[in-house]
Amino acid sequence: MSLPFAAIIVIIIALVAGALALSAFIWAIRTKQFSIEQLNRGALLIFDDDEPVGTPQDMVFTDNSTHGKKEDEKAG
Amino acid sequence: MAKKKTKKPADPHGEFRGQRTEADQERRIVIDDAARTPTVLYLGSGIFWLLVGSLFGIVASLKFNLPDWLGSSAALTFGRIRPAHLNTVMYGWASLAGAGMIVWLTARLCRIQLQLAWVHYLAVILWNLGVLAGTVAILAGYNQGMEWLEFPRFAGAMIAVGFLLFAASIIQTFRKRNVDHLYVSLWYILASMIWFPFLYVVANLGIYQGVIQAAMNWWYGHNALATWFTPIGLAGAYYFIPKVIGRPIYSYYLGLLGFWAFALFYNWNGIHHLVGGPLPTWLVTVSIVASVMMVVPVMAVAVNHHLTTVNHFRMLKFSPTLRFVVIGSMCYTAVSVQGSLESIRSFQEVAHFTHYTIGHAHLGVYAFLSMILFGAIYYIMPRLARWEWPYPGLIKAHFWMSTAGIGIYVIALTIGGWFQGVQLNDPAIPFMDVVEYTKIYLWARSIGGALMVVSHFIFAFQFVMIIKHAGPRRFAPALFRESAPMQREEREP
Repeated sequence: MSLPFAAIIVIIIALVAGALALSAFIWAIRTKQFSIEQLNRGALLIFDDDEPVGTPQDMVFTDNSTHGKKEDEKAG
Repeated sequence: MAKKKTKKPADPHGEFRGQRTEADQERRIVIDDAARTPTVLYLGSGIFWLLVGSLFGIVASLKFNLPDWLGSSAALTFGRIRPAHLNTVMYGWASLAGAGMIVWLTARLCRIQLQLAWVHYLAVILWNLGVLAGTVAILAGYNQGMEWLEFPRFAGAMIAVGFLLFAASIIQTFRKRNVDHLYVSLWYILASMIWFPFLYVVANLGIYQGVIQAAMNWWYGHNALATWFTPIGLAGAYYFIPKVIGRPIYSYYLGLLGFWAFALFYNWNGIHHLVGGPLPTWLVTVSIVASVMMVVPVMAVAVNHHLTTVNHFRMLKFSPTLRFVVIGSMCYTAVSVQGSLESIRSFQEVAHFTHYTIGHAHLGVYAFLSMILFGAIYYIMPRLARWEWPYPGLIKAHFWMSTAGIGIYVIALTIGGWFQGVQLNDPAIPFMDVVEYTKIYLWARSIGGALMVVSHFIFAFQFVMIIKHAGPRRFAPALFRESAPMQREEREP
């Protein structure tokens, strides 16, 4: 297959990829991903009441091994 | 931002109450349950390929020390073993283990059960069959002849379909998410879902010839790191460092700035691998400029992770996850700065075509990416298996052997490779003298590699034990040290 044909294919694919990237950026702006409010609280998304800020998660062990089973089994 | 330590933080889903609630715990357990089987399948098969790839790697390394060893079998010659090592480690270990981490992380960050979970069974089968078929083909002598793209097309096609199925589930989970804002890790994950299939399919089209084929080869080779492996590592680091420490990332703004700078600059890289080759000078120069500009996103990540961890370094004494991930994150900075330097023409005059490059590659894929994956698995598995790691001593052995191994490996090849390059540039030095000079460094490489291989078997043993709920049952986290003095230290001003 000759180079010009390859180039055309790659250019078309590149344009599609570029359009996707641009769409993602526009979507991010429209959904206010970069708003000051979102940016201020974004870092806290990985925390919740059960795994709150200030609690090192490797240091907390919750025995879930008996989740859904009887309470007396949990004690064992 | 540093003052967050002393302030009561805002809760994104209501006022921060500072109390553990059953609802959050229940929700997380339900999310983890839905992701459990796909995650364990990806991680388990990834670890299987880690063992296979490591054995190929140590055999390839020992062939530098013992050139005649296993030389009578065509399948075990260096020209086949070495690409088998590269492909099993990249498409087997790093990709599959990374996919497992992404499945778990996406469900957690989107706060919803994994969607289209069933497609992962098909994806895992196709992906593993693709890696198996490709590896057998390489050992049998069928090879596309392009680095990172050695797998025959039929094997590549199986991996591509597996990846697309995997990506479909991740994107659907994202679409159904229960959060408005995307955490920075999710940006990297979602971007890789678009970038990598595009890259892999374009590179495998098979419509390139001659010089253009070489350019495509290295555009792919370098951007496989950019579009898939680096996003995996950074997504993990951005989640596990603040999560384990229990402190939000230092600057969320910097995190997003780093992501978009990463997206802007990284994909121009790759052609700098062909400095001195028969390509237009401007094409190579553009790639060098982009490579140097990568300092911007790299420093954004480095500063962010360092300032998140600062004042918490003593936690590294306790947490296996944190220790692996922080080491990996530090090595990301190191390998990226080194990579920017290596792209410069005057630097390449010495370092190119030497063992220095091999040390650089392992600093990236092992010291950065694999270390973060190890740390992630140490965090994820107890939560999925509902069983703690049975032998903390073996985690310690895994950490020290893999760290010492990669340390010896990279330092030896960096020093040896540099002086190899200096000597190769001196026409007064006979070629065989240069070969003799590198021998000691190549032995160090094999010793480092052997340490890593042993550590991988220890890791795999622990993985099997935790899946089977075997070994002593622990009712406390498996830490490097038993005491846990850091609990809730930042809860109150």
